[in-house]
Amino acid sequence: MKIKISKKLLLLSSTLLTALIVTTSLIGHKKVDYNTEVKPLFNKKCISCHGGVKKESGFSLLFRSEALGKTESGKPAIIPGDPDKSEMIRRITTNDPEDRMPYKHDPLSDKEIDMLKQWIKEGAQWGDHWAYVKIKPVAVPDISGGFFGSDASGRKWVKNEVDNFIYAKLKEEKLTPSAQAEKATLARRVSLDITGLPPTAEMVKKFENDNQPEAYERLVENLLASPQYGERWTAMWLDLARYADSKGYEKDGYRSIWRYRDWLINAFNSDMPYDRFLTEQLAGDLMPNPTNEQLIATAFSRNSMNNDEGGTDNEEFRTSEVIDRVNTTWETMLGTTFACVQCHSHPYDPFKHEEYYKFMAFFNNTRDEDVPGDYPVLREFKEEDQKKFDFLKKWLLENASNEQAHEMMTFAKTWQPAIYSYHADNFINSQLSEVYLAFRKDASCRLPEVPLNSRSQLTFRYTSGIADGKWEIHIDSINGRTIGTSILPLTKGWSIHTISITPTEGVHDLYFTYTNPHAKKGTQDNLAVFDWFSFSSAFPGKGTSGYDSAYAYYTHLIVADAKQQTPIMMENPKEMFRPTHLFIRGSWLNKGPEEQPDVPHSLNPMPANAPKNRLGLAMWLTSKDNPLTARTMVNRIWEQLMGKGIVETLEDLGTQGIPPTHQQLLDWLSWKFIYEDKWSIKKLVKRIVMSATYRQTSVVSDEMLKKDPFNKFYARGPRVRLTAEQIRDQALAVSGLLSHKMFGKSVMPYQPRGIWRSPYDGNVWEKSTGEDQYRRAIYTYWKRTSPYPTMLSFDATAREVCLARRIATNTPLQALATLNDNAFLEMARHLATRMEKEGGNDAAMQISKGYEMTMFHPVSREKLEALLKLYNKAVIAFEKDKDKACEMINRGNDNTDPGKAALILVANAMLNLDEFITKN
Amino acid sequence: MTKKELNNHRLFSEANHEALHFVTRRHFLKDSVTGLGAMALGSLLAGCDWLGSKDKSAIVFDSANPLAGKPPLFPGRAKSVIYLHMAGAPSQLELFDYKPDLIKLDGQDCPQSLLEGKRFAFIRGVPKMLGPYAHFAQRGQSGAWISEHLPHLTTVVDELSFLKAVKTDQFNHAPAQLLMHTGSARLGRPSIGAWASYGLGTENSNLPAFVVLTSGGRNPDAGKSVWGSGFLPSVYQGVQCRSEGDPVLFINNPEGISNDMRKASIDAINEVNQRSYKEFKDPEILSRISQYEMAYKMQMSVPEAMDISDEPAYIHEMYGTHPGKESFANNALLARKLVEKGVRYVQLFDWGWDSHGTSAGDSLEISFVNKCRSVDRATTALLLDLKQRGLLDETLVVWGGEFGRTPMQENREGKVQAYKGRDHHAEAFTIWMAGGGIKKGTSYGETDPVGYSAISGQVSPYDIQSTILNQLGFNHETFTYEFQGRNFKLTDVYGRVINEIIA
Repeated sequence: MKIKISKKLLLLSSTLLTALIVTTSLIGHKKVDYNTEVKPLFNKKCISCHGGVKKESGFSLLFRSEALGKTESGKPAIIPGDPDKSEMIRRITTNDPEDRMPYKHDPLSDKEIDMLKQWIKEGAQWGDHWAYVKIKPVAVPDISGGFFGSDASGRKWVKNEVDNFIYAKLKEEKLTPSAQAEKATLARRVSLDITGLPPTAEMVKKFENDNQPEAYERLVENLLASPQYGERWTAMWLDLARYADSKGYEKDGYRSIWRYRDWLINAFNSDMPYDRFLTEQLAGDLMPNPTNEQLIATAFSRNSMNNDEGGTDNEEFRTSEVIDRVNTTWETMLGTTFACVQCHSHPYDPFKHEEYYKFMAFFNNTRDEDVPGDYPVLREFKEEDQKKFDFLKKWLLENASNEQAHEMMTFAKTWQPAIYSYHADNFINSQLSEVYLAFRKDASCRLPEVPLNSRSQLTFRYTSGIADGKWEIHIDSINGRTIGTSILPLTKGWSIHTISITPTEGVHDLYFTYTNPHAKKGTQDNLAVFDWFSFSSAFPGKGTSGYDSAYAYYTHLIVADAKQQTPIMMENPKEMFRPTHLFIRGSWLNKGPEEQPDVPHSLNPMPANAPKNRLGLAMWLTSKDNPLTARTMVNRIWEQLMGKGIVETLEDLGTQGIPPTHQQLLDWLSWKFIYEDKWSIKKLVKRIVMSATYRQTSVVSDEMLKKDPFNKFYARGPRVRLTAEQIRDQALAVSGLLSHKMFGKSVMPYQPRGIWRSPYDGNVWEKSTGEDQYRRAIYTYWKRTSPYPTMLSFDATAREVCLARRIATNTPLQALATLNDNAFLEMARHLATRMEKEGGNDAAMQISKGYEMTMFHPVSREKLEALLKLYNKAVIAFEKDKDKACEMINRGNDNTDPGKAALILVANAMLNLDEFITKN
Repeated sequence: MTKKELNNHRLFSEANHEALHFVTRRHFLKDSVTGLGAMALGSLLAGCDWLGSKDKSAIVFDSANPLAGKPPLFPGRAKSVIYLHMAGAPSQLELFDYKPDLIKLDGQDCPQSLLEGKRFAFIRGVPKMLGPYAHFAQRGQSGAWISEHLPHLTTVVDELSFLKAVKTDQFNHAPAQLLMHTGSARLGRPSIGAWASYGLGTENSNLPAFVVLTSGGRNPDAGKSVWGSGFLPSVYQGVQCRSEGDPVLFINNPEGISNDMRKASIDAINEVNQRSYKEFKDPEILSRISQYEMAYKMQMSVPEAMDISDEPAYIHEMYGTHPGKESFANNALLARKLVEKGVRYVQLFDWGWDSHGTSAGDSLEISFVNKCRSVDRATTALLLDLKQRGLLDETLVVWGGEFGRTPMQENREGKVQAYKGRDHHAEAFTIWMAGGGIKKGTSYGETDPVGYSAISGQVSPYDIQSTILNQLGFNHETFTYEFQGRNFKLTDVYGRVINEIIA
């Protein structure tokens, strides 16, 4: 019967190969594999009605307990060992159209039905998807001989263990690996991969002349040690961290968060172990006595978008930021698309709806509330002030309790904890101006539910254009007891003041009143505007020596202008705890039960000593038991170097992702990454680029192309178009314009006029001067609503949300950018000057030199002829049209040398060659 | 064909073939359980139904020629769309939604029932009701109420289908514009124009499939994301045509390079690239060659296509155009030219409709009237011009903002405003459609006597999107793109085709 069915199949569709394989496996009584056979069928045919989203008739196939459990009809759908009594089998085989599943769709094929029957017969075992299983040591495939006898060619080709895995698979596929790429090509490839920049001519020459076996390793080591390494890998991470210099949405105003970008560069350059790298970004603020750098690392989570538009509900956008942080954490660090669990249980993977909110609870208790100040921020002091701070710190630690010292230092550095003024309500002659509380003449309002807890001081940030306003703070009602009074002085812009208040137990509504003797009758002007309020204990240590100067420093530091203010993560103090609720069907307005922080149960449990906060979360994530963290990063690094992930869908290693091509290799590399290399990214990069697999030539034969058009099995080296950043950096480098200046505020290189036309703000693109025009692409100002156009056309994104993988496209707009963008023409001019200088007097020699400067190997005769033909044509044209020649050379003088103009045109063409914008 | 052209032609088809490989590979990996052969053939023979495939949602993404013209999933009534978005949200109460009762209530306190549990962008406390600042009359055979602010449009009301009870759930510009054009108030989703060019490609390979034109001195509030490609390949994002500088970014040669020289240099680049192809045999090189050829064709045709100066005088008179300066009228005329040349989706944004009444520059009395004047004639001319060319039947024209305006006068910060103005209002507003298989001279949906909320025929942005897709030949429920393990739709789980206005 089985054979007959297979024959029918053969006739029905041309699935010759598959059918044969299936038939063989059935005849061979091979046990049905849940992960590769059953689960994909469930996902495709059943799970949209019987899964994490819908559980029609009370039946779901997501978890075994559910699938074997009670259904609404009372008939068990699956009885392990007994397919004939299993309702599921009856329902997929019945002829009654009302009963037959999949409902109102084509029936399952006989082959599929047989497979399910056999699976139930064998016990209906569920299997865990490979990506959710702990990483175990993997044996390196033996290619020394085995079945086919001695394999000398394999042994000769292999450089490290990576190659054993690749070679074993190639052999299965009857493919042979390629030879090593020529040295110049390899040097360019590995330099672009490790540093994002082309090599220098000297580096290539040295490598070419070094015939010792370690020559390549030396080159790799030098590249890994160069400061440009950190810049290149930061460029990758910025897409994941959705880093931008603006906040997004309508206003899309400036956000000063570049210190985070610089933190990344330093972290990569110092080869910070990946587990610490993640921990500091997720929970730097919760580490013991965090350094400023560790606080800045947490800006990873603060790159979420802020909406400063008028009238927005801060809680709505705060919630949306928290959700964005959850999704970003999963996609970046765990290679899993978690966003769908927001509304319902994961349709395919073992994550339950409530688990999303348990996970969200880790992130939901921070001080940020979508306010325009981007609070909380780390205020980094100027040098003089830092000295004062250091003194203050020392004094506090000696003269105050640890808790008090900590409270004072935190406040000086961050102005936290603060209650933002938009929480006020019950306005009379007062209102929210944008999100700031504003008093008019004879104003009052309420600040609800303030935890006073016997604190004796109130510090507040405000601005007032009129002196002598009297502000009174009453408790519990507008006529309640006055616990504080202040005559608010006139300010120039925002100012910070502290007043004493009567210490009061507990949590209270505060009622504010404001009067001003100078306020004109009938005025509707805002007389005093508040940003935030902070209730604190008095400065400690009164009476001890040094108190006066310590306190003076403290008050000075609070108002001192910071050198930088960087948004950071900071946990709410206990009294401001924010509970997390499940959102029913994902709607933040429809709250379900309260949830406590936890990780999904289908993955490793939290380590025993892990606190239930972001630090504990980071411990869980970087635990050796976590099946996803290392695999995700290894897969990502592999993709960056080889052009494609072992799992192509970097964003999803789960059942909906594309299955891995070399799962054993991924696991082996991941195991090495954790246990042997102790999470060293540099060692991981080195391990891959040292392989023979990586070093292969990317030249492909017709036969290979036919057998493996997408280089899935790596019988040749990677050949991929450079990234948007690499395209700019490389052109700057070969033209000699590139500035190696590192770090600092983002810059604005040339872009055509009229790109930014944003409403409601005066922000303009002001072209940077001097070397800042020629910095590497990662330093380019990134405005979310209007990213740098040339990079955008080369598949860079707006960085609105986390992006795990850029899909490279090939469009005419890219050609137009590199052909016609004045930035690229300027690079061509400088390249032409280099060609003239270093190439000699003859055009052919200059062009050959130019080719070598860009590609690092000699130009072929045919290519030179094509470029020379262009040169000669251009010389004639520019001789005829001196104006054009002059414009082309653009020296601001009357140089009309047709040869020079023609050389620039050739240089412009060279910056457009396929091999130039491709890693060969 | 010359030998070279022949050669290029061959390279082209080779490249396309390779790209199909690329596409089918994904299918193969996804569907290998049910059979490699069936799927691969299914994709290769997309459009041929002999395999009896029911999967009509499959659009083939061809990376070598991603904008190749493709048939819709069922025959659509419209071949192209011109979407006229008045950014900032024009007041429906001064244009189309005539509310005589509101005149009587002018100056009275807004009843609490309209305020309880509501949030407004700027209104605080109890605002006053504001009567319409316009005179209305019934026009045309259809008897549509329309205000004096649009005197030209009154002459073509019988072409229009009004949706008078559109409700959105966003009252801030950026999220509301995103919702209107991408189906989500958050950033990151493809815009409807991107979906259209993904599904249909372009009929004219020298021009982009999706063109964006802006006027009013600013980009729309949500920036380029409203015409972004989201998770679709970036080639499908809207190409913004500009009034200043290059009409399409980098379409013109830099100073010093003539067209002949550009041609010569692209020839040289492609010759070298062909050598590289011989060397590496990487099919991607072939597709690069074709993209450089396409770039040159675009350089030659786009400036001409974007230039309205050669239109006859009577056309300029009709639209009120002045070539060379940024205006809605110029963009409207350009939209017609582009649609005529096969562009699928033309998106116009005209900025400056945010009539809050805080100053003359955003008042109903002055700036709003001026804005109406600046679009009235050109909008009318666009409809008439399309009609006289026989293009209106196959071109869907949509006019509207991202939300409406309150029946109350804005009292920003609780103060009396110097001018008449209205706050953002999500509950009800008017959008109209014309052409492209839409009923003529009809109106659907009704609001309460003060125009605060819908009482019948309420539609959502998703419904509008579903209807636009429907007219182009796509079912919004089956037109999907797989991303992050999910089949994404423009309208997510929402949307209903508004059959009531379909002819």
